[in-house]
Amino acid sequence: MDVQYIGENLLPGKLGHAFVILSFIASLFAFIAYSFSSAKVENQELSWKRLGRIAFWIHGLSVIGIVVTLFFIIYFHYYEYFYAWSHASRALPTHYIVSAFWEGQEGSFLLWTFWHIVIGLVLMYSAKNWEAPVMAVVSLAQVALSSMLIGVYVLEYKIGSSPFILLREAMEAPIFAQANYLEFITDGNGLNPLLQNPWMVIHPPVLFLGFASTIVPFAFALAGLYKRDYSGWITPALPWTLFGVMILGTGIIMGGAWAYESLNFGGYWAWDPVENASLVPWLTMIGAVHVMNAYKRTGNSLPTTFILVIVTFILILYATFLTRSGVLGDSSVHSFTDLGMSGQLLVFLGIFVILGVYFLVKRWKEFPRKSEEESTYSREFWLFIGSLVLMLSAFQVLATTSIPVFNKIFGTNVAPPADPIGHYNQWQLPMAILILVLTTIGQLLKYKKSSPAEFYKRLMWPFIAAVGLTLAVFIPYEIYAGPYIALIFASAFALFGNLEMMRTQFKKIKTAGAAVAHIGFALMMLGVLISSARKEVVSINQSGYSYGENFDEKANRENVLLWKDEPLEMNDYRVTYVGDSVAEPNHYYKVFYEKLNADRTVAYSFMLTPNAQINPKMGLIASPDTKHYLGHDLYTHVTQVIDKSTVKDQPAYKDPKAYTFKVNQADTVMLADNLLILEGLNTNLSAEMAEKTAGAEIAVSARLKVKTLQGDRMLEPVYAIKNGTEFRYDATDEALQVSFQKIDPKSGTIQLLIAEKNPGPKEYVIMKAIKFPMINLLWLGTVVLVIGFSMAVMDRYREAKRIESRATA
Amino acid sequence: MKRTHLILIVLIATAIGVIISTVGDSSSYETFEVARENPDEEYHVVGTLSRPESMMYNPEVDANLFTFYLKDGKGEEHEVVYYGTKPQDFERSEQVVIVGKMEGERFNAQKILTKCPSKYTEDTVEVKEHVATPQPQN
Repeated sequence: MDVQYIGENLLPGKLGHAFVILSFIASLFAFIAYSFSSAKVENQELSWKRLGRIAFWIHGLSVIGIVVTLFFIIYFHYYEYFYAWSHASRALPTHYIVSAFWEGQEGSFLLWTFWHIVIGLVLMYSAKNWEAPVMAVVSLAQVALSSMLIGVYVLEYKIGSSPFILLREAMEAPIFAQANYLEFITDGNGLNPLLQNPWMVIHPPVLFLGFASTIVPFAFALAGLYKRDYSGWITPALPWTLFGVMILGTGIIMGGAWAYESLNFGGYWAWDPVENASLVPWLTMIGAVHVMNAYKRTGNSLPTTFILVIVTFILILYATFLTRSGVLGDSSVHSFTDLGMSGQLLVFLGIFVILGVYFLVKRWKEFPRKSEEESTYSREFWLFIGSLVLMLSAFQVLATTSIPVFNKIFGTNVAPPADPIGHYNQWQLPMAILILVLTTIGQLLKYKKSSPAEFYKRLMWPFIAAVGLTLAVFIPYEIYAGPYIALIFASAFALFGNLEMMRTQFKKIKTAGAAVAHIGFALMMLGVLISSARKEVVSINQSGYSYGENFDEKANRENVLLWKDEPLEMNDYRVTYVGDSVAEPNHYYKVFYEKLNADRTVAYSFMLTPNAQINPKMGLIASPDTKHYLGHDLYTHVTQVIDKSTVKDQPAYKDPKAYTFKVNQADTVMLADNLLILEGLNTNLSAEMAEKTAGAEIAVSARLKVKTLQGDRMLEPVYAIKNGTEFRYDATDEALQVSFQKIDPKSGTIQLLIAEKNPGPKEYVIMKAIKFPMINLLWLGTVVLVIGFSMAVMDRYREAKRIESRATA
Repeated sequence: MKRTHLILIVLIATAIGVIISTVGDSSSYETFEVARENPDEEYHVVGTLSRPESMMYNPEVDANLFTFYLKDGKGEEHEVVYYGTKPQDFERSEQVVIVGKMEGERFNAQKILTKCPSKYTEDTVEVKEHVATPQPQN
């Protein structure tokens, strides 16, 4: 029998699900209509196109409906819905509700779908002749993405996963047999604490916009192949490709900034599979931009252009497959949810691979080709070479990242390299050097043919300046490894070569986007190199402590234990752990840094408060705190803390000890932290005590002075005899508990029982501190890179407009 | 020979180089037995924590030394030395992957991956990576 559940709000879910179904059907319809419009001739074309537009609009509006409904469910805490329950909680501040929205797989697909719609609507009204075939491809991608949200079973195979399923549908538990089960579900599971960071509010939408924008060049390329218009598509697609490179790059760097600011792996990049998965298509898309330019100006490199554009989109789908199918399993620190849709993801990947390969193969022979090779002294040749280097660089990252996939296919059991950084760097460092040098060579050469003499003349001063800068960097920073010096030189050469380019473009500064972007890239590489080559672990115990004979003396010990209030000198710093404070769920550890001069005097000081969440489910989640200076960052995070909840409860006071005091002698007792002096006995009791001891034969207090470093205080325990019975009124303060036991008139002494407060376990924190020199160059370079790309996007957009108006005129 | 062909050859050669290095640098999931027989090679060893009572981490003495015993899939057990702090949730991990090599009877782990039941991803486990303090190469 069905249970009639109480208190469930089923309307939003039903509405949401209706939107999901509608969005899927509408996208399918849009795909069909636009496909017919592409295929039909003349008079019928327009009516199909109109239908396609209507269908795409309906699709777009229903996706917005899904977004609004899902947000409503999360924002108003409808925990009968699984999505809200598993990703949000009542304590979550509003801006993190937004993060909760895309924490789950369904939410991130929704975000991606949403960006496709925005892009699709712009294309609908700007692509003109290209609208039908381009929108057919976009709509096909929307069919694929919308189906990820359907959540229905077809022949026992689950298609998609709906964000609107109820908690009781998603899980099985005895509680759901009760009609009023909702009364017991008062709060959600909450957002992963690692994601409760401002970067995680902004990073996913930017990254997914980058993902989404790769569909535009892909759609234009397929449209070009389909319509046999091999060159016309490049002009409208170029600004979009540049835009995609800019946004995807920004998204990737934001992920790095998040890692640097709130994760504790000590850096911004770790060659983690998830990072790699989005880096690879970024590299191929940069390659695509360069050959698109080359083809546009000279007619060379067309096949490479098609391959790179198509491969980029496929790699985006592959990245999604890698990160969403659970295939990476235990090779990544990111946690993955496998919603059982790997099969579906593979089908989509397959559809677009087949589509791309089919058109490429079918048209390959028809491509316009040049009979003669381009000159070695021409820009297009080096653009082509640069793109090949980028392709190889992408291939290398891809090959290693895909090891878990090869394991699945071939049934092998190969593990990723034990030293991933060394493995990637041995390839990526030379590639970066090549690419940097090529930016200057390519920029300073002209399209078609340059005169070698003129070229070498222009190369002169960037070369000399680069040698100068290289010396000025590697000597003071003591970077003596050959490959590193080569990378410094390459960055400097790229920097000055592109500055030279900018100088000549000064009058037409709007066209200098490429030079600016290259300068940004050169600065980034310089920042990456200096900050990682000269990264310095500060937290090394230099107290000369013996670790015993088992341990290698040379071993670097990067974690250091700091006892509370006990300063420790590490490198040029004196560091003191001064205490913690709690603002649930975060525990903040105050670490006081004093920078020391050579003569050990304090140059300046600052406080860092790295925080940690002691999460019952996830253990210690440590987030660093970083002091930023212009020339370097000092980064600190805790690696171990005392979990106060696991410390055994100790009695508040130690066992009391009996002390005998001689009256009238100011008798003194030394205690652990205090000095206790008996000043005398007193029968003139306080009003409160007088009341308590009213009618007693004897009522006397011992006047005790407690001397401490902080000052003196008084304690007055009382002893009384009433009707022959002894009464004792103890005196207590923050450190002591004193009981007046007895008076011995014969010897003129009294006896006191004194219990000292238990100090509790000594507090400590274990932390790691790293100095990153010149890391600001990386962030500065990123900003310059983005400015350069924005300039290039604008420039290419204006150019596309000009060409379009010339064509219609 | 045309220049295009030359470029193609260099391209293919580099790609082959990439593949060879990927295979060469990759490690493999093995048991202690294999690691014992090849003491110079780095391996991933999968196992479970055994004898939790002999797990040793005394930050007051050395904050960078953590030792424990691990039993691999075949039941072979070894002491594992890790130069770093003890992962906070270590006792709770269902499965531990250690990356490193054998040194005599002990396994020197460069990296520890722990798998714990996760709160935030209901149907999967949480994978966490811990990297040891780099040791100087001899």
